[in-house]
Amino acid sequence: MTYDKKEKKVVHAEHHAHGDDHFREKHLMLDPLPRGQMNDMVMESMTEPPTWKFWLVFGILSVIVAYGLFYSWARLIIEGVGIAGVNRPSYWGIFLVNTVFWIGISHAGTFISAILRVFRAEFRRPFTRAAELMTTFGLVQAGFSIFMHLGRVWLFYWLLPYPNERMLWPNMHSPLSWDLIAITTYLLSSTMYLFLPLIPDLAMARDKSTGWRKIFYRTLALGFRGTEGEWAHLRNAMNIFAWAIIPVMFSVHTIVSWDFAAATRPGWNSTIFGPYFIVGALHSGMGAVIVVLAIIRATMKNMKYFIRPEHFDAIGKLMLVISMGWAYFFFNDYMVQWYGGDKWTKQLLHFHEGGPLGWMWFAMLICNIAIPWAVLWNPKWRSIPWLVSMVGIFINVGMWLERYIIIPISLTINRMPFTWRMYTPGIEIPLGIGTLAFFCLLYMAASKLIPLIPVWEVQEGQMAHKLTKYGRETVVTVSELE
Amino acid sequence: MSEQFSRRDFLKLAGVGAATTAILTGCGPASRYVKREPYMQMPEYNYNGQSTYYATTCRECAAGCGLVVRTIQGRAIKTEGNASNPLNLGKTCARGQATLHGLYNPDRVTDPIKRARGNTAYFNVDWDSATQTVADALKNYKPEEIAFLMGTAPDHLFDFVSDLAAATGINAPVRFGALSMFEARATLSKAAENLFGKAGLPFFDIGGAQVVFSFGSNFLETWLSPVSYTRGFVGLREAKTKKRGYLVQFESRMSQTGGKADEWIPLKPGTEALVALAIGRLALESRGGALPRAFADVDPADAAAKSGVSLETLERLAVMFASTASLAIPGGPSLGRSNGLAVAEAVLALNAVPDNFGKPGGVYLSALAPNETEYHRPASTQEMQEFVQKMADGKFKVLFIHGVNPVFELPRSIDFKAALSGVEQVISFATFPDETALEADYVFPDHHGLESWGYQRVATGSAQPVLSGAQPVVSPFYNTRATIDVLLAAAQLAGGEFATAMPFKDEVEFLHSKLVPLMEETGGSFAAVDINTFAAYFQQHGGWWKLAGALEAPDTADVLNHDLNGEEPEFAEGEFFLVPFVSPTLAEAGANKPWLQELPDPTTTVMWSTWVEINPETAHELGVENEDLVKIVSEFGEIEAAVYKYPAIRPDTIAVPFGQGHTAYGRYAENRGANPADLFGSQMNEAGDLTFAGVKVKIEKTGKKLPIPRLESIMGVYGEALGKEHE
Amino acid sequence: MATVSDLKITELKLSEAEGGKWGMVIDQDICTGCQACVAACAMENNIPFVGDEDSGYGRSMHWIRIERFWEGEYPEVKMTPNQPMLCQQCGSATCEPVCPAFATVHSQAEQLNLQVYNRCVGTRYCANNCPYQVRSFNWRDYQRPEPLPNQFNPDVTVRRRGVMEKCTFCIQRIHKAQDKAKSEGREVVDGEFTAACAQACPANAITFGRIDDPESLVSQLSKQAHGVKHLEELGTFPHITYFKGG
Repeated sequence: MTYDKKEKKVVHAEHHAHGDDHFREKHLMLDPLPRGQMNDMVMESMTEPPTWKFWLVFGILSVIVAYGLFYSWARLIIEGVGIAGVNRPSYWGIFLVNTVFWIGISHAGTFISAILRVFRAEFRRPFTRAAELMTTFGLVQAGFSIFMHLGRVWLFYWLLPYPNERMLWPNMHSPLSWDLIAITTYLLSSTMYLFLPLIPDLAMARDKSTGWRKIFYRTLALGFRGTEGEWAHLRNAMNIFAWAIIPVMFSVHTIVSWDFAAATRPGWNSTIFGPYFIVGALHSGMGAVIVVLAIIRATMKNMKYFIRPEHFDAIGKLMLVISMGWAYFFFNDYMVQWYGGDKWTKQLLHFHEGGPLGWMWFAMLICNIAIPWAVLWNPKWRSIPWLVSMVGIFINVGMWLERYIIIPISLTINRMPFTWRMYTPGIEIPLGIGTLAFFCLLYMAASKLIPLIPVWEVQEGQMAHKLTKYGRETVVTVSELE
Repeated sequence: MSEQFSRRDFLKLAGVGAATTAILTGCGPASRYVKREPYMQMPEYNYNGQSTYYATTCRECAAGCGLVVRTIQGRAIKTEGNASNPLNLGKTCARGQATLHGLYNPDRVTDPIKRARGNTAYFNVDWDSATQTVADALKNYKPEEIAFLMGTAPDHLFDFVSDLAAATGINAPVRFGALSMFEARATLSKAAENLFGKAGLPFFDIGGAQVVFSFGSNFLETWLSPVSYTRGFVGLREAKTKKRGYLVQFESRMSQTGGKADEWIPLKPGTEALVALAIGRLALESRGGALPRAFADVDPADAAAKSGVSLETLERLAVMFASTASLAIPGGPSLGRSNGLAVAEAVLALNAVPDNFGKPGGVYLSALAPNETEYHRPASTQEMQEFVQKMADGKFKVLFIHGVNPVFELPRSIDFKAALSGVEQVISFATFPDETALEADYVFPDHHGLESWGYQRVATGSAQPVLSGAQPVVSPFYNTRATIDVLLAAAQLAGGEFATAMPFKDEVEFLHSKLVPLMEETGGSFAAVDINTFAAYFQQHGGWWKLAGALEAPDTADVLNHDLNGEEPEFAEGEFFLVPFVSPTLAEAGANKPWLQELPDPTTTVMWSTWVEINPETAHELGVENEDLVKIVSEFGEIEAAVYKYPAIRPDTIAVPFGQGHTAYGRYAENRGANPADLFGSQMNEAGDLTFAGVKVKIEKTGKKLPIPRLESIMGVYGEALGKEHE
Repeated sequence: MATVSDLKITELKLSEAEGGKWGMVIDQDICTGCQACVAACAMENNIPFVGDEDSGYGRSMHWIRIERFWEGEYPEVKMTPNQPMLCQQCGSATCEPVCPAFATVHSQAEQLNLQVYNRCVGTRYCANNCPYQVRSFNWRDYQRPEPLPNQFNPDVTVRRRGVMEKCTFCIQRIHKAQDKAKSEGREVVDGEFTAACAQACPANAITFGRIDDPESLVSQLSKQAHGVKHLEELGTFPHITYFKGG
């Protein structure tokens, strides 16, 4: 059973004699397939034997992870942070840039899933899973990055509030302690939130597989059989999580921003950092989701059915709005800092724009504002997967640059001009590439192990959607499910 | 520990212990003759965590500052200044602090060695054969074929060799040090002789003056006795009983002294004499009255034109100089030119305007040290040149070298290394594997200064005559031996005249013999009736000094009747004036101490390397940037160094620090930076000092970059790469 | 709503932060920038040297550094008065609250900012948040080849890689002096001991002592009208007073 453009017309002709084909072609929700067939399509995309291309990419990524992440990290631990590029005054460097970046990426998953779920945005249905996976995998990279940053990572557990005979507790005055708690909470809750909607799909996979996969899915499905009671509990739990995780998500990036905003440094000490960071995180997260969707759609079997230009269009609109939001906060931050006239802040702003890395500042604005605005206003361009995902990549580059400007570049300027010094990355580069490769690797593995499409959610949506004729007008109606 | 526990060893340990006990508890010196005890049972070593403190003398330069070294369980931990030593009053410079990195340097010569000259490979010999080698060298050659070349410290060894030479007819020892070359001591002394009729190091009472004009003398960094002159500077500045003093520095490259000055006058190199005379004339004119012969010939307008200092400035300064208790100091590169002596004379003579000779805040002649009968200065470079010529001519068959590293310290134009080939046997007593030790046949290492006995005469810097005493603060760390003991033993083996020349059992007995005359003197810091008690006090206090000042007022009857010469010097061909200056942290022998390497230079904050200071305008014209490696070419040689755009240097002048560029001398010094001495010629000034600042150089680009580590931020301090002009 | 008693507590806390116990006065007019204090500090406190590459990259570990700037252009150029910069031992230090591990804490007894090396995990937040930029980090295990370690001061911990450190006001000397005074049944006398930098300083530009003792030299000096405290406007209550030059 394959699904591509050529066959589509045939399929449609058979099932829908009444026409209105453009609705069906456009909207997944209005283009239902038999449930069995759809389940098989998802199972097939997951279980088909990997091609040599898959193994090649997998192999390359593994080598990069082995060298970039594990070998380089071992060296970092054994030789000390000196092999990284941090110095006085840039005590923080790319490790924290990457931490903030990955936390930002991880935001979009929950945002798309939870906010869209809460607000019943129907276009979300096929890609909530892909987005939620990003949250979890992104947080793993963020965790790696923050641990790389520590001077004595083998003592990281001193940052945890564990009972000990000396009654030594972490310092709850420190934003870093808040951060640790926030990120841990977020990781746990987002993992739960990933897992709950996965249960029905795991049960489906269990029913359709044999051998080790059967055991694997049976274990994870927790005996889900699809009874009314089970569905009711599941919906309840998902509803609670969807509402509860939103403030957690907001708090995480706000607290991340407090690492900077609470410090007594020019350029950092800004009250707008909380919302500014959240919007920035969403910006990069949405960009990342769109890239992931484009890759899934292009490389995995049967995905062109589930992920359609309408989704790129919908996410594209969101990206445009978020880009505007980001521009608003950026301007706000800049304006207030500039108007304040503090001599060090002024110097810092000049340095951002005209210093040796001034190109980064301009590149950031081009990537984060100019490119999204130029492309995403047009519904046609917005629906072109490769184009929108290119914009997504640019946004991510721009957002990475934004964090680079906030951390090592801003740290260059402080109140002691005698110490101003540029930061040149060292082993951060292989380690950063290593986290990126590890993220991709986790995703590739996940694509072969768990259904990337929440197929029950799609089916549920399709059941709720109907095309109804009012006179000559065809109207889409969505019925309340709960 | 060896079975043969010599009397010297015993004295060392016993004395060490006693001195401490005395300092700490006030016990009488009788406890010096404690029963001989095994090392581990000596009480002060038995208490964990208890420090013992020993007074001794710093050997990092020849100034002779007193130290008190803190030790714990036989290890030296920290040096502090000896608060009772009148020279430094408890203070130290950075080099004194880092002397422990010499003591525990990983690259010391650990055993007596023999090597093929210039070859880093060597093999160990034992001290018996080492002593035999020295004995053979003394015995097998005629006395006039035997020469000693020594550093400016320690004095007791110099006295020993001088006495030995006097008794046996070998050549009198010659002393040299790069510092004294850059200080132009011979010129200062000669100028004093010409003006005051008596040679000697002038002493300038900066602290008592109200206005100080310093003509290139960098007294805060390396000049003569920086610790005591810093105290003078503080006296000048501190406004406790008087108005805050005013310092004007005349030099073409801003030194740290220039940086601390209230006014920095960047005159053209070589016009110091002219400017000094012009100021003298203008000052006297401002007072009215007849002009003395000394200042009569100078034309202030001409001086202004030639020096680049405006006439108004000269007049203003002259009035300032004439109107209060002022002082003029000659020094630095201005003396290291062909007119150096004229500069020294002109500036010294300028002190006749306020007539401060022999008065507080004025010019004195330094007091002679307690066991000194006349001023003795280290060899001038000219005398060294003659010495090197004799070596090259084969007049010396045996050369003993101690405490100096002439292969590095002498300019390459006086080729010490080549001249060594004329010497049959070269025996070095170096503590460190320096360039000269590498060219020696034998290295019989002396103890480090902190492991040694001795004394150092304070040549200048203190009003009181001071003899700073040294004693071992720790037992020798390696298989080294005191040079005097080696010489004493070798003299016995050599027999003949040598056997009777120096009738001492060991170094300590010799030292005592030198202390005996002091017991007769009155007005000392302590007195004792027997030598053992006296010597114990001497160790305990870190020396002996007169309680009253003994600065000598110079005889100035004739000063203003001299013909003073304001002519400009001759310079060797080139484009830029070269101002070499001594790195205050490294100087001639600091480069092997890692913490000295890591100390930022006071003016540029550069660490670990050599740089060339170029005015930013000039750099722009030359098309060079910071950290561009350039080749500096003089008539006599060339070096490569990285550019440092230095805002406080004349556009026609460049400056290079002296201190790096070692080719040997341990892991921290080797192959690091360049030695500006490679650029010097061999022309001398009238007093016999090298005209080290008398060359002009060309600058060639190499197209390469060489990062120079600096503490300061180029962005924050110079406003570079900030996006907008830094306010 | 803050009540009157709340305000009183705040005032009390502020005055405590402002007061402090140990303090320093640095006279920039007579500081010659000779680096003796830097060397003395390194020798006293077992500070490692980092070599040319790292020192050129802003990783030198001096606990005290001497700053100088330039004013004007040639020939009217002037060096600004040398400014020794070291931990200001703030009464209300910005480095302290941000450490998640309580590795940098305020000592109640000595009123100093302590760095607990053993507790430090190396987040380097304190160094970012120090407006004076006086904290140095052990970027590597800086090797001191044998026999250089013989010189180590046994009273001062030798730090390993990944640990932050900074000037301690020579707390080992403070404790030694206090122990000695206690064993002799008396108070520590002003001038009985001093910090390593102050002891070495050939210009006597650094004065160290009790600022809570109105009789001590340092507290009398620090009351002089021309004394300034750096970045006081941040509310850090630095305990070092500077006399600017000229």
